[in-house]
Amino acid sequence: MANPNGGAVLIDGLSKRFGTASVLEDINFRVDEGEIFVLLGASGSGKTTILRIIAGLENPDSGRVMLHGKDVTRLPARERGTGVIFQSYALFPKMNVERNIGFGLKLRRQQNSSIKNRVDELIELVHLGDHRAKFPSQLSGGQQQRVAIARALAYDPEVLLFDEPFGALDAQIRTTLRREIKSLLKKINVPSIFITHDQEEALELGDRLAVLNAGRIEQQGTPFEVYMRPETEYVATFLGAANLLLGLIRENRFVSDEVSLDLEDVGHFREGQSVKLVFRPEDVFLRRPENLSQHYQPLAEGTVEEVSFVGAFERVSVRLASHGGQTIIVTRPKTETAAFPLEVGRRVTAGVVRFRILPNFTLASERAGRVA
Amino acid sequence: MSANLSGVRHTRGLDVFKPLSVGVLLAMMLPLVLLPIASIFIFGLSSGLGTFWQALTAPDAIFALKLSFITSIWATVFNILFGLFAAYVLSKYTFWGRNALIVMISIPTAIPTAVAGFALLLLWGPYGILGRYLPADMQIMFTPYAIILANIFVTFPLAFGVIMPVLETMSRSLEEAAATMGANRWQTFWHVTLPSLRGAIVGGALLTFARSVGEFGSTILVSGNLSGRTQTAPLYIFAKFNEGQVEAANAVAIVLALFSFVIFSILFFARDWLESE
Repeated sequence: MANPNGGAVLIDGLSKRFGTASVLEDINFRVDEGEIFVLLGASGSGKTTILRIIAGLENPDSGRVMLHGKDVTRLPARERGTGVIFQSYALFPKMNVERNIGFGLKLRRQQNSSIKNRVDELIELVHLGDHRAKFPSQLSGGQQQRVAIARALAYDPEVLLFDEPFGALDAQIRTTLRREIKSLLKKINVPSIFITHDQEEALELGDRLAVLNAGRIEQQGTPFEVYMRPETEYVATFLGAANLLLGLIRENRFVSDEVSLDLEDVGHFREGQSVKLVFRPEDVFLRRPENLSQHYQPLAEGTVEEVSFVGAFERVSVRLASHGGQTIIVTRPKTETAAFPLEVGRRVTAGVVRFRILPNFTLASERAGRVA
Repeated sequence: MSANLSGVRHTRGLDVFKPLSVGVLLAMMLPLVLLPIASIFIFGLSSGLGTFWQALTAPDAIFALKLSFITSIWATVFNILFGLFAAYVLSKYTFWGRNALIVMISIPTAIPTAVAGFALLLLWGPYGILGRYLPADMQIMFTPYAIILANIFVTFPLAFGVIMPVLETMSRSLEEAAATMGANRWQTFWHVTLPSLRGAIVGGALLTFARSVGEFGSTILVSGNLSGRTQTAPLYIFAKFNEGQVEAANAVAIVLALFSFVIFSILFFARDWLESE
């Protein structure tokens, strides 16, 4: 973040409370021109409130909203020029597609001829040529969404804000639509902010994403960074699945019951500090006992407790011999399952190729000092 | 045959209850509703169309019908505007006493119309609480204005009652969408809110108008019932009947009945059209 005033959208220290409940605490992020930024969080994490504050539909208690270098924190919604795509789309039911799209321009007192040209252009862009005279109630969910996007694009918005845009659609359409929208957004180069609770959506859509938990941003970065290097347990478990083992730092190693893993770099962890080992199910490999190669570090021995087929891969749950019989989840691709078929009750050795060590905070207040 | 077939399908035998119950229903409605309406027409047209037309075109009859329509139109215009305003304010804001206000708006429907007329007299009459301070040439009781006032009172909550639920169920995000697109409060109301209320406004107006045209109880108290000056159509029917001029009363009654059919049909059949495009 070399240039603190740069970026198309700059959110600076937003906080908000409703009564005594803190909804947002010190939210900071920026979105660059043409970038897609995703706010990922469970319901109640405050993501909707952030979106509404940017749009001007809600006021923050403190902090600033900057759009293209201009502080808009005190401006009413109608003077901000944001384009909001509401979850329900909020198309005007008594206006047809053309009039919905042209409404923002009409409010800006543009000439009818230039409105018409712009509307034609946008209808072309979102492929709604056959539906231009239809009313919202006559359109499918996906078509309504395209109208909502075109309607927001019409007046060259400062930023596009998507409020769970795929929430109302069924699973198959969601995937197609989000690819369509991503390629559309890449074409028009407008900064966009999506909010969602769907991790798959966040990973696929976002150039960068932020994981929200209880009104705080737990971590932000590219989907790859956040997925590969989760900084908190919450991020590790919310974005993808993760196994957790409690342990201590001892002489450059992670030690837990019979597990002892070599750490290349202990980083800022103290000797004897209580930590958590976090590893993803796809980073675990199962072998016959005593048959591990050097590519991964041996983790523990255990017994296969459950094997379930979930389409592209197999999910195995292994009860560890150590750790009070804690179970870990392992996913294996087809090549693996063919080479080494597993059945319930078999003894295996688990090894890990990739893992993270996170501090084990017992108090919520300690979470403020998160790992860098 | 088909009735029998469906009966067989559902009950494995002839369902005697179905024709029997429909028959009972009709038999009950005949003396209570259908025959009274029919007799207006049978009686009114029994001495021929000529007599009917003559009775209808009598100057006092025409005046009474005109007065009813004009006073009702004003009451409707007022109550639609008021209903819109009240519904907008009450659906948009929550404040202390909001529910009490909604109840107060609705009270006039529960008050007997004669009581409503009497109440207006006590307030605005020449010796009324406020009326006594009005100069003699500005007295409103026993003028067409009093009729409008009475009509407004008795139909007060009708338009509000139709508009309010539509506004309350209208998605908040429509207004928010308009705001983010750059619309101010008035533009949002005009371009977004009002079009969605079209059906409710027309429906509320028809209800208010129909109710006003037929108003009797309050009108007879506040209008003075002066033939050719403050006598509305329902009062005309009452007066002519009392004078024994049944044909005159009947002719106006037919017009009012037909008129109510028309309004009812519009409300009934045009509902879908009013609600959609």
